[in-house]
Amino acid sequence: MTPPLRPIVDGLTRQRGVRASLVVSEHDGLVIESSLRFGQDGDRVAALAASMYRKARLSAAAACLGAVAFLQLDADRGRICAVGGRNDLVIVVVAEPGANVGLIRVELFKALEMLA
Amino acid sequence: MNIATVESWIEAPLKRYVDEVHAHLALLLHPSGQVLAQAGFTREVDVMSACALAAAVYATAGELGRHVEGRAFGGLHYAGPQKQLFLAPVATSRGTFVCLTVFDDASSLGLVRLYFAELCRDLADAAPPLAARTAAPSFMNFEADLNRNLAALFGRDEVM
Repeated sequence: MTPPLRPIVDGLTRQRGVRASLVVSEHDGLVIESSLRFGQDGDRVAALAASMYRKARLSAAAACLGAVAFLQLDADRGRICAVGGRNDLVIVVVAEPGANVGLIRVELFKALEMLA
Repeated sequence: MNIATVESWIEAPLKRYVDEVHAHLALLLHPSGQVLAQAGFTREVDVMSACALAAAVYATAGELGRHVEGRAFGGLHYAGPQKQLFLAPVATSRGTFVCLTVFDDASSLGLVRLYFAELCRDLADAAPPLAARTAAPSFMNFEADLNRNLAALFGRDEVM
């Protein structure tokens, strides 16, 4: 049984510098649960981040690199971090450029364990 | 992917949409079943069949929505084992059209919905003003209109 997802995304969004966190279906690209700060378009982020994660996973598999552990995209005004589990779920965090990625990574893996 | 449109203002928005969502097939049609644009089809008969079926599904789903919650459903998604389809209306100044999109695992429902919203905006912006509006398809001329549109899409002389 899937645990309640709301506390997971709320916990991630409480981290310093995190603008949004979402649990997304990798296959459908749809939001399952989200915690968004003002100005974030959850549906758009979910669709594109799920697509990106899926392509990264397929690329890693094609290159015989094994499973994708952690995906990070750095952009001018922030970054997207994502982790995925054995089920179809991907946890996505949108963070500010100055956010502590190490801490976000740790929290994402903790959240992933809760989903497993 | 080959894209053909009966009216030129449809082409650029539809091409962008099809490219972004990696659609296998796309159709834009009038709710009566008259085709306005197609992407990915190679045979006229397939376009005719798909238009007829899409128009029927759209009408059925709309009526079902009106029964269930008092208004037509906004969109319809069906996920098959390998391919999925998304059927939804597009409102423009030229009237409401129906868009059928067929996609597979290279895309996702989230991406299709995201870019479909952009397609709706792009088509609404690109549609010629009402003054230049052409007559809505009438049942009297349905077959002639259908043949004319198919001839335009597949670049052949019209057969009456």
